Amino acid sequence: MTELLRISHTMTLSWRYGASWYFAEFIRALRDERRILGLRCPICRRVYLPPRPVCGNCCAELREWVEVKDTGTVRAFTVVHTPIIDPSTGQPRPTPYGMALIQLDGADTTLNHYLAENDPATLRVHIGTRVRAIWRERGSGTLSDIVHFAGMNNEQ
Amino acid sequence: MRQVAAIGTGQTKHAKSRDDVNQSELVREAVTRALADAEITMRDVDAVVLSNMELFEGRALPEMWVGEGAGGYLKPAMKIATGGTSGTSACIAGYHQCASGLFDIVLVVGWEKHSEGATQTGMALTDPLWDRNVASGAVGNFALSISQYVTERGVTPEQAAKVAVKARRNAAKNPYAHLQMPDLTVEQVLASRMLADPIHLLDMCPQSDGACALVYAAEGRTEKLCPRPAWVRAAVTRHDQPYIGDLDRRLVTMRTLRDAAREAYKRVGIAEPLKEIDVAEIYEPVSYAELAWYEALGFCAEGEAGRLIDEEATEMGGELPVNPSGGVLSTNPVGASGVIRVAEAAMQVMDRAGAHQVPGARTALATGYGVYAWSDVIILSADK
Repeated sequence: MTELLRISHTMTLSWRYGASWYFAEFIRALRDERRILGLRCPICRRVYLPPRPVCGNCCAELREWVEVKDTGTVRAFTVVHTPIIDPSTGQPRPTPYGMALIQLDGADTTLNHYLAENDPATLRVHIGTRVRAIWRERGSGTLSDIVHFAGMNNEQ
Repeated sequence: MRQVAAIGTGQTKHAKSRDDVNQSELVREAVTRALADAEITMRDVDAVVLSNMELFEGRALPEMWVGEGAGGYLKPAMKIATGGTSGTSACIAGYHQCASGLFDIVLVVGWEKHSEGATQTGMALTDPLWDRNVASGAVGNFALSISQYVTERGVTPEQAAKVAVKARRNAAKNPYAHLQMPDLTVEQVLASRMLADPIHLLDMCPQSDGACALVYAAEGRTEKLCPRPAWVRAAVTRHDQPYIGDLDRRLVTMRTLRDAAREAYKRVGIAEPLKEIDVAEIYEPVSYAELAWYEALGFCAEGEAGRLIDEEATEMGGELPVNPSGGVLSTNPVGASGVIRVAEAAMQVMDRAGAHQVPGARTALATGYGVYAWSDVIILSADK
């Protein structure tokens, strides 16, 4: 029988996504003022981060902006050892790296983001640890303007 | 609404790579076996429902490319893609088509050929506004939720590893399963490479090539075609919010699965799932998730899942065997995985599961799990 073939393909693709009024406002505040904005549901009063135009639980339109702090509490965490493709670069992200779900002060949802610490042997993070955002010097207008979160051990 | 039953199932040999066939041939392999099992021909099939996550292979319109293998020519055919729940969603859609009276015989077929693409590429095409900046993939996201689950419930890595061992040992008796490891030990699971704390390589499902097909028939036709069909007694679906950070302690609360199970049990009249269900085929992408699902499905009280696995209640021969087939932890062609759950549950009720048959099984539960927290629950019974 003829030897079986595998046909390889590699392609570079690009997209342009419409981000709508609410995301434009969120990004403007993040990039120009280093402020993090959430939207509050008029019915259940939940403050959503990322902001979105509708509360899925109440089917209500969200219009009330609420400022959320860049400090928060770790609600879940891990250290990732297996390389995944970083969607922002298309390349495997260097490992290990710390990840957490962080409830920012003033928000009711949690934000998944990177942790400064990535060594499981010396990890001082646990559920309940207070953390603060470490910002890039120059904002580019994406969530990556926050490099990662670091423990507030020496603060407060 | 008419009563509907599964009257036949078919699977391919699932493997890391099925280079010997293309997608259409893979689908045909499962479909041919399902039609033979149901003792019908493609001419008897009124409609086809397909399940596949096409981003993983990077080929658009898979329902067209596998059309000849699935038998969809000149018939109503539709494709469903809802992440991990794709297969159970397709099974529920096929059930709706049959129960509604639109069609008498419906063929459901799910497949995936993970070896053809990079599954991570598909996962990377998540929400561009937010998720792509902070992605950690399926493993990282599960690890986050597991940190909450183990903190609140006190489940140990050893108890999770027992789930992984049970799955691969059961798979050794399933001729179609991908990972068959009859001698795997808890120690080997714990010694395997760390993917994301606390998930070891052997705690996680594989990526497989495979297909699975299921034939439904409406009442009236069913009785003539099948001496022991698996009647669909409940089929419930629940979706939820898009961002992982929206979900309050996902594995602890799992409100979609809890709510779907509650409604399904109510429809069937099940008060004590552990006693009244004879066998379960649940969608467990990671060992820890199976323990969390035990609680969400009401197999035990909150915080008792570790005890349930320690007492071997969900092993073959236990009070409620969970995943005699080896589950998703042993075989995971994503578009097929949900169809496999329902097909395996049907095989148990029909007494056609061979070496991994649970003797005397009459009531079987199948679940699907997709995206961050979508859930499907299906209950099949020998009783109409």
